[in-house]
Amino acid sequence: MDIQPTRRSRSLVAIPAYNEAATIRTVVDRVRADLPACDVLVVNDGSRDHTAAVLSGSGILLANHLCNLGYGRAIQTAVLYATRWDYQQLITLDADGQHDPAQIRALLAEFDRGDWDILIGSRYVARKRYDGVPIGRRLGMQLFSALVGLTAGRRIYDTTSGLKIIGRRTFPALADWHFIDFHAEALVYLMRLGFRIGEFPITIGERRHGQSMYSALSHVKYPLKTVLMLVLGIVQAGVTRRKAP
Amino acid sequence: MTGAGVLVGAAIGIVLLVWVANLIRHDRLYIGYGVIFVVGTLAAMVVLIVPSLLDAVTRGSIALLPVAALSLVPLALFTFLMVYVFAQITILSNRVTRLTQELAIRNARQEPEVDARSVESR
Repeated sequence: MDIQPTRRSRSLVAIPAYNEAATIRTVVDRVRADLPACDVLVVNDGSRDHTAAVLSGSGILLANHLCNLGYGRAIQTAVLYATRWDYQQLITLDADGQHDPAQIRALLAEFDRGDWDILIGSRYVARKRYDGVPIGRRLGMQLFSALVGLTAGRRIYDTTSGLKIIGRRTFPALADWHFIDFHAEALVYLMRLGFRIGEFPITIGERRHGQSMYSALSHVKYPLKTVLMLVLGIVQAGVTRRKAP
Repeated sequence: MTGAGVLVGAAIGIVLLVWVANLIRHDRLYIGYGVIFVVGTLAAMVVLIVPSLLDAVTRGSIALLPVAALSLVPLALFTFLMVYVFAQITILSNRVTRLTQELAIRNARQEPEVDARSVESR
């Protein structure tokens, strides 16, 4: 039987967390202080540390994956949860404390004003440059930003940002499609389906604990997987649009 | 290799690519496995189509291990079998994923709210 959350809001803040015991409680407390009107859901993605335990007494909603499914699937769980409990907006942010929840209010205001389907908190859209980013990562970001522009008709400068506001209209598409990390491949797929995706400038802090979800090997695999998925997303979006009544 | 051999090899490669792409698109082959088959097949096709590369690979492989051209047939069959096996693994894995997500959603719980100040004062 489903356990209905104590709903207070039409917006759900979702924080996917994998081995983030060092930072998650601070992130959650900051979100609750800055966005008291929003419900907060932590998707604990099979953490092997004390991520779930440190959230005890925090007043948030906690969904536990029994094993690690990866970032994309954790986001998808949040989408499925938001769909089931009829939330209108899903706000995603990282559990490592890099995002400042205080910036979400401006993002929310722009989301409502611009009639966006997805609004990305972007580190690079203000200057349209990747200053201070290591060369390998910068090349990857430029490549995927250009690919999104080329294939979807609108350039997105920060395709890997974890801070996003996702509107309800996109939930069915996100629940059905199997994106990797909800980066360029998912953005292109959604844009080709006709959803409006935009960017809003934000700043982020340094990661103080934990490690990136990308290993050395994934720096080779990630671009190949993303490019392949991006191409297949274009095909799938075309098929879906043709089938639509 | 004769022109006909190259054509047959390229046709097998294209069939494999289309099959793999279709499986990935329908979420029946994990993208991480699929990308290995796609890159491998494309590399094999490039070797097959570019005569100088094919000569170099042939010379190299014969020097290491002389094999008959017919041994490529079981190799192609084995590759198709591998795709099939990985597709079955992906289907099972997807079922586990859906189950894990559903359990997480159904068992999601609201943590009680404990005021930090009241805990400290006790």
